Formats: sequence, structure tokens, C-alpha cells
Amino acid sequence: MRRFRLTPLRLAAAIAMAACVSTGVAYAATLGLSSSKLHAWSQTLTKGTCSPSTLFDTYVSQATPNTPIGNAPPTLLVSGAVNAQNYTFVRFDLSGCNIPATGGADNATLTINVTAAGHDKISVFPVLSAWDPATLTWNGLAGLTIGSTATATQPVNSARAFSFTVTSDVDAAIKAGVLWGWEIQDTSGTATTVISSTTNPPSLSINYEK
Amino acid sequence: MQRLANILAIVVTAALLSVGVASAAGLGFTSGRLGAGSAVVAGCTSSSLTATRNVDNSGNVTQLSVTGVPQACAGETLAATLENSSHTSLGSASAVVGSCTGGCSMTLSGFGTVSAANVTAYALSLTP
Repeated sequence: MRRFRLTPLRLAAAIAMAACVSTGVAYAATLGLSSSKLHAWSQTLTKGTCSPSTLFDTYVSQATPNTPIGNAPPTLLVSGAVNAQNYTFVRFDLSGCNIPATGGADNATLTINVTAAGHDKISVFPVLSAWDPATLTWNGLAGLTIGSTATATQPVNSARAFSFTVTSDVDAAIKAGVLWGWEIQDTSGTATTVISSTTNPPSLSINYEK
Repeated sequence: MQRLANILAIVVTAALLSVGVASAAGLGFTSGRLGAGSAVVAGCTSSSLTATRNVDNSGNVTQLSVTGVPQACAGETLAATLENSSHTSLGSASAVVGSCTGGCSMTLSGFGTVSAANVTAYALSLTP
């Protein structure tokens, strides 16, 4: 019997067979991994815009601490005057926007129209509890929950429209199901700023997703 | 004799390869059973769970929340990708579902700076 000799042809045949079998095994392993208990899904978002038309606004006066100014006075006052401060409050009814609690604001802008500038900085703070413009007073502020950090601040140096970015507040309000609006304060001086209420009332513009 | 040598060469080669295949099949058998198991072993959920995102005041996504993740998904990895209208990834994040009763609420963060205005879809997955 002749001794077995490894010829180039035999070596090539062995390598080819090994390659084919290896490929088959690797392919089977790949199939097994990718088809294991993977659960994948997607969620498509719908974009929209809304400018809620139902506005509630008033201001409270330190000078008359127990007297409500009432809803929609002709003008809204923001003043840092010592012992005569005025805070303005605005809120909007979001129900007409039909945004579910699973939605959110992509961006939101609160616009006020200043008719007399106090040349101080004006800040908007989120109000986090219910208030009624018909009954809200300076002394009633103690019963309100107001965010300690201003959402937006800017100098008000002329009589014109000013816009404040309030995206995070509106996003949170959508998820909470209600928007309690903002307290507008003078945070830099003692001047008085006058905001139009009835002629060019505050407005809110929302770009949302749902 | 030449023919016998050739036959012997093929037999020996086949035997050696069989050992290799058996070894590989032993490894592959586990993943093979996983693959076949997709028809037999159900995933932890078949529901398309709803996700919501939060934004900062600049309109950038800060986190994505997924509620109602079944307890059976504990230990699995929840992954989410924020996509634009071309289904291009704008950012992604993942986290392992922890143990919880009733249903897990998962919060994913670390998507980078992604404007919510550009996000039109979430792609989500749960994998063991």
C-alpha cells in the first residue's frame, strides 16, 4: 500500500470543503441571533400649531393688597416700586388645542405688548397652581405655587411687543393637562411697565407634537 | 492504489471537518435554538408602548419616557432612536429595564443636543 501524500490538489480540496462548511455554520449562527426575542416598534409624531384664544389676565397690587383687579383690565401693570409692587398674571386655556398628555411643546412663545416701558428687566415665572383672575389679590399670592426660577428674562426698554420663550413650561403643562400660566415681575428696578390687555392682549404661540 | 489514496484523503478530511462542524454546531446550537425560538418563545411584550419626551426651554429633548413596560421585560435592553422626517437618527439612548411590579416606567436620556422640532418619530426596541 502506498503512503498517503498530501498533494496540492488534495490540500485545495480540503480547504474548499472547510470554507464551505464554516460559512454554513456562521450563517446559521447569525440567523439564530437576529431572530431571537427582539421586539421593535416605531411611533410617528404629528406636528401642529396652536394659539389658544381664551386668555385670563390680571395684576395684583401691593398698594391694595386685598382688592382684586379682576379679569382683563384695560392695562396690566408690572412694577418694582418699593411697597407698591405690581405683578401681572396671564394664563391660557389649552383645551382647544387638543394636545394629549402624551404630546408636548416643540417651542412656545409668550408675547406681551408693552405700551409704556419701565426700562427694567421683566421676568416670567411659571405658576404651578390654580388661580382665578376675578379673586386674585396681592395677599392671595401666599396661596399660590410659583416657580422660583424665571423661565425667561429680558430688558423692556421701549413700547413694543416682547416675546418670551416658555417652551419648557408649556411642555410641562401639556403633560400635566393644564396650564396655569405665568407671573410677570419687574426683577431689576423700581419702574413701572404697562402692558396692553384688551387692545393687544398677551398671546401664546405653540408648536407642538402629539 | 492511487484511487484508494484519494478516497482515503477524502474520508480523513471529512472526518476532521465533521469534528469541527460538530464543535461549531455545539456553539451554534444555542443561538440556533434562540432563532427557532422566535416562533416558540414569545418576547416579553408584543405591545407598541407609548413614549413621550421632555424638552428644556430651548426646545431640546432632555429625556424620553416609556411607561407600562411589562415586568416580564426586566433585564432586557430598551433602546430608542430619535428620527427626523427622513428616518435619519438624530440621537439614541438605551437602558436596561429594571425589576418592578405592575409595569416599569423607563426614562432614557443622553440623546445629545436634539431639537424636538426636528424629531418626527421614535424607533424603539426591546432586546434580551
